[in-house]
Amino acid sequence: MSSTAPVLVSIRDLVKRFGPTTAVDGVSLDVAQGEFLTFLGSSGSGKTTTLFIVAGFEDPTGGDVLIDGRSVLSVAPNKRNIGMVFQRYTLFPHLSVFDNVAFPLAVRRRPRHEIEQAVKETLALVRLEEFAARKPGQLSGGQQQRVALARALVYKPRILLMDEPLAALDKKLREEIQIEIRRIHRELGVTILYVTHDQEEALRLSDRIAVFSHGRVVQVGSGADLYERPADAFVAGFIGNSNFLPARVRGVDAERTAVELPNGAVVAGRTDSALASGGEASLMIRPEKLFLVNGRDAPDANYDCRVDVTLRDSTYLGDSLQREVVTPWGQCLMVRQTGDAEALSHAGTGAALTLCWHSGDARVFRKTAGSSAPRS
Amino acid sequence: MRSTLRRGRAWPLRGFGPALPALVFLFVFMVAPLAVLFLRSVTEPTLGLGNYAELLGDATYGRVLFNTFTVATVVTVVTLALGYPVAWLLVILPSRVARWLFAIILLSMWTNLLARTYGWMVLLQRTGVINRTLMDLGLISEPLPLVNNLAGVTIGMTYIMLPFIILPLHATLSAIDPAIMQAASIAGARPRQIFFRVLLPLSLPGIGAGCLMVFVMALGYYVTPALLGGASTTMLAELIAQQVQSLLNWGLGSAAAFILLTVTLILYAIYVRAIGLGRPQ
Repeated sequence: MSSTAPVLVSIRDLVKRFGPTTAVDGVSLDVAQGEFLTFLGSSGSGKTTTLFIVAGFEDPTGGDVLIDGRSVLSVAPNKRNIGMVFQRYTLFPHLSVFDNVAFPLAVRRRPRHEIEQAVKETLALVRLEEFAARKPGQLSGGQQQRVALARALVYKPRILLMDEPLAALDKKLREEIQIEIRRIHRELGVTILYVTHDQEEALRLSDRIAVFSHGRVVQVGSGADLYERPADAFVAGFIGNSNFLPARVRGVDAERTAVELPNGAVVAGRTDSALASGGEASLMIRPEKLFLVNGRDAPDANYDCRVDVTLRDSTYLGDSLQREVVTPWGQCLMVRQTGDAEALSHAGTGAALTLCWHSGDARVFRKTAGSSAPRS
Repeated sequence: MRSTLRRGRAWPLRGFGPALPALVFLFVFMVAPLAVLFLRSVTEPTLGLGNYAELLGDATYGRVLFNTFTVATVVTVVTLALGYPVAWLLVILPSRVARWLFAIILLSMWTNLLARTYGWMVLLQRTGVINRTLMDLGLISEPLPLVNNLAGVTIGMTYIMLPFIILPLHATLSAIDPAIMQAASIAGARPRQIFFRVLLPLSLPGIGAGCLMVFVMALGYYVTPALLGGASTTMLAELIAQQVQSLLNWGLGSAAAFILLTVTLILYAIYVRAIGLGRPQ
């Protein structure tokens, strides 16, 4: 999404407390018109509560939600002109598919011919025209959610909220509908706020992702931003797989931060936050950025960081070879090799190898509680 | 799959063993007496359908039948109108508060029927608490006729029937996912529209079950109409008691009882047809 698109939804310093617990703790986000923004986080991270405040089902304890620059907090949900698809199946069980999709127009008292036309078009959009006469109970879960999507789109809202709409579906069906959602977003240009705990889904669908943790937005950015330049260890652990090496900061310069690993080896990584020399840190590196070479082989000039390791296990995954190696300090690391994986395939369990990587691919994070824990 | 079906057909009475005592009891003390009652209704004083013809043809008895259905209908409508909001309140209140409300409803149901009915007499009669208070406040100059008429019967019976409509309604309403109402709201429906287009249709099974229960119970009600009603509101149950106890006219009394039973069964059949056996689909 180009940065020139005007802001449609603006969430400002949103706070929501339920008794003693703070569900949303100062969330601020701007959503551009036509953008697909995903709230990504584990359960209890505040993403759904934030979405429900935008919908109007929850009142915030503090902060504001603006649509087109006007606060909507005092506007009832039925007057916000927002579409929404829920996690649970929320079709009206007593109405046919046609009447479910017609519902938003019927309550707006639109003329009958207009309703029929719009329902037909919208059912065609989700490819369910031939199911118009069925009752929701006669549809599969995936079909029900597509009808729910049609019901949320039929009145052409500018904003569509989706609260884990695919969580109840199996993986294959989920991927199918993800493709449909992308297509519909492209065709209609509707602004979508999407909630999920599935990082793959977030990466597949979104223009931007807001990573939620403990009621706060930890980082907002494109999938590539979050993967290549995670703001902290939590984001790094949440998006994709990561290795976290305990490290002590040795020196900081503009380009790189040098850290000492537990075995005394000094390596480097990039960092965004200021780190104090001598402080505890965590070196993050993705499994596919690590390379294994035989100890005797000539060092590759590209790989300026090296650690001796022992091979523990190799798993052939077709498109890649996944290896587990053990560092001198007993930590198990994941290495994923693609391409000429054959070269080292003769190396058996227990082989002494050298693990190397380019310092530009590693990141140094401040040590935070549980920073090495997330692995999803 | 096929083998279980076949076995099911071969042993239609499988699992009936434990229910046998109850079935025997029902047969001896319900089916058999009903059969005797029916025989009396067509044999006393003479063989034939004379009793039924008299009941359905005579103006006085017709009046009683009319009273019975009027009272049952009014009571059912008022009970539904009062009970629906309470059932909904039980669903949306925090569970701690809802438990208290439930306890109050059940407690009223478990209190002795006669005590409650006499309680209403004390409240409703000409010199009763309600009339006295209203007159002291200067709101009325004459006591309102609240007892020995349709108003008295309706008030007393509605109060007694309330739990019987609240409980099935509560069961139905609490099974409706609140997210469905949220979906209706965000789709643009105003609260009124959500009620009439979503909540009400979805609560029809509970409404049906509750109304059937109340209507059928009201049709055969005896104590409350006898105590709070008057001569103009005599109901079928009172007629039956009168015929059997005072006039020893078993034939006519039995026929009246059978008319009541037939109407009840017809209503039940209609309900089952329309809504199913209390299972919302």
